[in-house]
Amino acid sequence: MKFIRSITDVFGESPFRKLHDHAEVAGKAAVLLRDAVVAYSSEDFEKVESLRKEIESLEYEADRIKHEIREKIPKSLMMPVDRHDLLSFLKPQDSIADACEHAVQILTFRKIRNLPDVVKKDLEELASRIINTINRYEVLVDELSELILTSFSKKEVQESLEIVPEIENLEHQCDKIELRLYKEVMNCDKLDPVDVLLLISLIKEMGEIANSTARAADRFRTMVLGK
Amino acid sequence: MLLPLLAITVVIGLYMAWNIGANDAANSMATSYGSGALTLKQIIILAGILEFTGAVFFGSRVTNTIAKNIIPVSILDAHLVSIGALAAILSAGIWITIATYYSLPVSTTHSAVGAMVGFGFGLMATGTITLSQIQWAVLEKIVLSWIISPIVGAIMAFVIFTLIRIILIERSSDVMRLERMFAILQIGTAAYVAFAHGSNDVANATGPIAAALGYLGKETPLWVLALGGLGIAVGIATWGYKVIETVGKRITDLTPTRGFSAEFSAATTVIVASYLGLPISTTHTLVGSVIGVGMAGGLAAVNLNIIRKIVASWILTVPIAAGISAGLYVLMRVVI
Repeated sequence: MKFIRSITDVFGESPFRKLHDHAEVAGKAAVLLRDAVVAYSSEDFEKVESLRKEIESLEYEADRIKHEIREKIPKSLMMPVDRHDLLSFLKPQDSIADACEHAVQILTFRKIRNLPDVVKKDLEELASRIINTINRYEVLVDELSELILTSFSKKEVQESLEIVPEIENLEHQCDKIELRLYKEVMNCDKLDPVDVLLLISLIKEMGEIANSTARAADRFRTMVLGK
Repeated sequence: MLLPLLAITVVIGLYMAWNIGANDAANSMATSYGSGALTLKQIIILAGILEFTGAVFFGSRVTNTIAKNIIPVSILDAHLVSIGALAAILSAGIWITIATYYSLPVSTTHSAVGAMVGFGFGLMATGTITLSQIQWAVLEKIVLSWIISPIVGAIMAFVIFTLIRIILIERSSDVMRLERMFAILQIGTAAYVAFAHGSNDVANATGPIAAALGYLGKETPLWVLALGGLGIAVGIATWGYKVIETVGKRITDLTPTRGFSAEFSAATTVIVASYLGLPISTTHTLVGSVIGVGMAGGLAAVNLNIIRKIVASWILTVPIAAGISAGLYVLMRVVI
């Protein structure tokens, strides 16, 4: 509608809604990754392939949202958090979807048949724990809207930040399974050495998902406290 | 010769009033619409009544400043004043129309003052007065008030929102409920802004009319102010409601506690300025207040580029309105 003269220009577009969308995409990718791990264990490699495509498009979506957020926070935008803190929080959050993509890509490099049951079980367990970690993380990011509404009231900030150690603990659980998996894989004599190589890279990349989530949660804390 | 000139002046003055109602009045009421505290119909009625009463009961001081304190109209021939008033209102009307078309956040007040100054330059160009006869001291005071008013609005809003934050939000267990309570209070501050806006901005339409009618050194008659107030109310009812709808949907960030802080500060600043006879920009003061709330951590995103836009609008509006007005005056002197 033309012929308007108003003060709307003073209101910048809030990047916080998009931060939440971005975290949500990472969560979706993690769920699909577990499906891919399960499919890989049951040697349904076609399904793994189709899930790879899906995760890749989610990663692309996450990148798109990341660019949108970056474009929308010029220096002239005044926000209740530090712009630099926000950007350094966005980065590890973006790495979550990246790592999911890398992990699923590794699964498509080579078909392993007759994967030992204990490895199957622990891989699926790790994938589930990763989902738990990200789910909790999404709750943390969700808190942003509440924080903005209360103008970062001390009580609200404290409540939100109680979630951070929980995430760190969940990530620690992932770490434990990761270590267990390394040992299992390296000491499994019936595995082909190339299979071992693939599994090691897979475990490492899956660990990276949890690490990025914990790192993003930590940066979230810095961002919220640094205002 | 005088009567047709006067008639045109009144008509264009009414157009200015309509434009003020159509576009600027939305700034007071859009938040209440956005938060759902009032319906569009209620807003049209409430804003119409308050803009009108503000204009009629509080609008004379600013009208006087614009009508006669900038240039020494009292020493001029009534015929020249009529021509000048017409040139001024025409140029303000033209510039506001162009600016609105391009969605530039310019001030009707600055246009009106710039146009009056342009009339002064026209008088100089035709050798009627000298440069020193323009009331530079009054102008200085006005321009200074343009810079000070958004700053005062910002500081006041910062303090008020900080107090609300510390005393109410920090202690509240249910912030949504607090916001709902403030939605009711905010109807009051929106009304306050509408009243302040009417009192300050009616002058942009009635100043030249009062000058053309020859009310020099006298109080501006009530009916002139009422005419301006009516024009503003009609502007709200015929176009302003659309602007309120559009703006209201876009500024949901300004929740009732934030809206209350910004509006109360802006309205108080404008009312005080009106009382002092200073024609300030309601829009710019409100922008200042919103920035104040943002500085207090109340808003998710404030676009500080607006400051650059506003400064650009100061730099553009006054010379353009003055230029058109001076040109029109000289032209009309030749023709008429």
